[in-house]
Amino acid sequence: MEKITFDNLQETLFHEKLDNGLNVYILPKRGFSKTYVTFTTKYGSIDRTFIPRGKKEFVTVPDGIAHFLEHKMFDKKEGDVFQKFGVLGASANAFTSFTRTSYLFSTTDNLYENTKVLLDFVQEPYFTEEKVEKEKGIIAQEITMYDDNPDWQNYFGTIQSLYKEYPVNIDIAGTVDTIQEITAEHLYECYETFYHPSNMTVFVIGAVDPDEMMNFIRDDQNSKDFSEPEEIRRKYPEEPLEASRKKTVLEMDVQRPKFNFGMKCSRTVMEGDEMLRQDLAVNLLLDILFGRTSEFYTKAYNDHLIDETYHYDFIFEKGYGFAMVESDTEKPSELEAAVRTTLKSLAENWTITEDDLNRARKRRIGQFMRSLNSIEFISNQFTQYNFNDMNLFDVVPTLENIQVAHLQDAFKTISNEDSHTVMTIIPGSKED
Amino acid sequence: MFTKVELQKGVNLYIRKTEQFKTITMSIKWVAELDEKQAAYRAVLSNVLQDSNADYPKQSDLRKALDELYGTVFYMDAGKRGNSHIVSLNMECVNDEYLSTSGVFDEAMKMIRTIIFNPNFQDGTFDESIVNREKRTVIERIRSIYDDKGRYAHKRMLELMRPNDPASMSSSGTEKDVESITSATLLDTYKRMLDEDEIDIYVVGDIQETELAEKMKSMFGFTARDVTRKQYVQPATEVSETRQVFERQDMKQGKLQVGYSTPVSFFHPDYPKMQVTNGVLGGFAHSKLFMNVREKESMAYTVNSAYAAYYGIVYVMAGIDADLEEKAVKLIGEQIDAMQNGNITDLELDQTVALLTNSIRSAFDSARGQIEVYDQYKQLDEEFTADKWIAEWKAVSIEDVRQMASQIRLELIYLLSGREA
Repeated sequence: MEKITFDNLQETLFHEKLDNGLNVYILPKRGFSKTYVTFTTKYGSIDRTFIPRGKKEFVTVPDGIAHFLEHKMFDKKEGDVFQKFGVLGASANAFTSFTRTSYLFSTTDNLYENTKVLLDFVQEPYFTEEKVEKEKGIIAQEITMYDDNPDWQNYFGTIQSLYKEYPVNIDIAGTVDTIQEITAEHLYECYETFYHPSNMTVFVIGAVDPDEMMNFIRDDQNSKDFSEPEEIRRKYPEEPLEASRKKTVLEMDVQRPKFNFGMKCSRTVMEGDEMLRQDLAVNLLLDILFGRTSEFYTKAYNDHLIDETYHYDFIFEKGYGFAMVESDTEKPSELEAAVRTTLKSLAENWTITEDDLNRARKRRIGQFMRSLNSIEFISNQFTQYNFNDMNLFDVVPTLENIQVAHLQDAFKTISNEDSHTVMTIIPGSKED
Repeated sequence: MFTKVELQKGVNLYIRKTEQFKTITMSIKWVAELDEKQAAYRAVLSNVLQDSNADYPKQSDLRKALDELYGTVFYMDAGKRGNSHIVSLNMECVNDEYLSTSGVFDEAMKMIRTIIFNPNFQDGTFDESIVNREKRTVIERIRSIYDDKGRYAHKRMLELMRPNDPASMSSSGTEKDVESITSATLLDTYKRMLDEDEIDIYVVGDIQETELAEKMKSMFGFTARDVTRKQYVQPATEVSETRQVFERQDMKQGKLQVGYSTPVSFFHPDYPKMQVTNGVLGGFAHSKLFMNVREKESMAYTVNSAYAAYYGIVYVMAGIDADLEEKAVKLIGEQIDAMQNGNITDLELDQTVALLTNSIRSAFDSARGQIEVYDQYKQLDEEFTADKWIAEWKAVSIEDVRQMASQIRLELIYLLSGREA
């Protein structure tokens, strides 16, 4: 077991790669009464074309399958896994993203029994046609729920407008139609390919003894049989530089229009330190350009172009990345003009100074320290970074080394007008 | 769990020293009786106070100063609880220990003092342009509920069940009352809030308790005030018949809300029993609703129940295909019937108590959770601890749950669904 100490943060991380390839990380947190355990596979909705384990040809599976698989993992021959966690006092959950599927629980009691339940249910698949059919009703309701959610439509619609080829443009849960094609056989095929321990990570954080826990997980894994690790072959399409659509308008039953300005990132093929630097640099840049201290924000808020719903964000993973500036607004076209002007004037005349950077940097360092209070944040963010070969605990030193020149580089990756899109949801009837 | 220091009559400081967090969290709460007009005034006032102050008359300058203090978090909000309206000032800053600097907390305290006692006055009152801008912001907040179908359905259920009552009042007031606000209204509201409200101040973090109490006394000039704490008990509701209300918006899914009344509210001795009862019904993923409506019948992705304890309301929420409304209502009714007949297993009870235990202990793993949970339960017991409350839950029997379930009355079935349904 390797022990990694971060003196400035007063945190110690324990790590071991087990014989079957499973990566286990343990981070004890003093003073915490709960323990949060996640078991994550590097497999999400974008992994739709791949060579199944033991086969030679690429296949493309129905949309929504990673998420469907996540639902079905809880349903066992002997009943629902939630029942087992419930008896042991743990609150369990799972989520599927574009790139990951995560199973988790948090508990203040029976830590090892709960860990055993988690490891076992994720490593013992049980799918039948009957159970797969039955789940379609539940997932169809989940999909319809998102259909009625204007904020989700605004967010996801923007991604679809940005991406022409890359499968982030496919809804994580699929559609009511695509999930009908899913069979138990599909689920087994995806499971066998992506749920090998060598493609997975366990992260344990909170009230935990690292030695005991590592021994417990190691013993459990050694007692189970796994095939040899194999490299997973996935295929992703090439994404053009241009946005798929320049403008998208959707009518929904809302009171006020919702606006989203999307910027597709032009440089996403990278990993590790380089990726962390670009991720943080784009975030700092957005803070300076669109944050609450910016000229843009002050003017837009005073001119009634944005309101309390205003926010911006940058999502970045190997293979894709996009920034968004969103708000409810009565004046979508004026807001669009204000965003475009902000980007354009910076492109023509670089005005960001060392002082701007220093202030934004301080804010981000503070924000990072604050988020270390949340064991859920550490666990989820660490795993996401880890799958992109970045280290969460490098955030502060990386922030400290970022120069204005890095911001200039970062700006170039999102400032191309051809890669921009505008999404608006306007009041009206969907059926019209 | 908190050390209490009376700063002045009616102004109390609650401190919790802990090394659990890398930050220091502070929350100042102004508590007054809930009144729809005052709610509107106080909601706008909290926005105006959050915007700027005498030291930083421009929002962007205030935000820059906060960024310089390593992204110190500062925001104000308005909420309600029972028949109380609560304006909160919230601050969180990084503990100096983790920074290559010192004095961040002291600077943040000074800033908060200015925010409270030295607002951004022009000619002795609030700046009209800021007031107007924040009125608009609050109106937009009120209107935005319509766009969130689940929240909207819930709001409608409360309005139909308890019209003109604290249960259905918004903590931001009504659009009309917000519209009527002038700088003079806000000045009056500000003075009343500062001089008359009950004030609770919470601080959680690695701080010296006595030092902090002294500092607060010298820095914050709160005056003594007479505060009489009244326990709010919702007047009993006579349910003569169950009402059905169906409303339409353009949407695909149906949002079902089934409202029940219970005589057991927050200050009732049976409150912990009712919490367990709600948990057995629909609080968790092992609960009757989840197992029978979602898993067995595949009818819903979301189906759960909640207990609005102050208002004596238990309600079930489900996202369903609107055509299946009758079937869903029937299934939900069957779960209640089962409980009224004592059809509850030891397993269900044990799971529920275990998960309630987990949720309260987990809430204590954040500073804000510690503040909010204690702030609520201290109304019942100033010496509140999680362990004491967990013991209350553990003492609940199947017979207790049966009795609690037998006292609830179905009052309203509300469905929000698509126009074509």
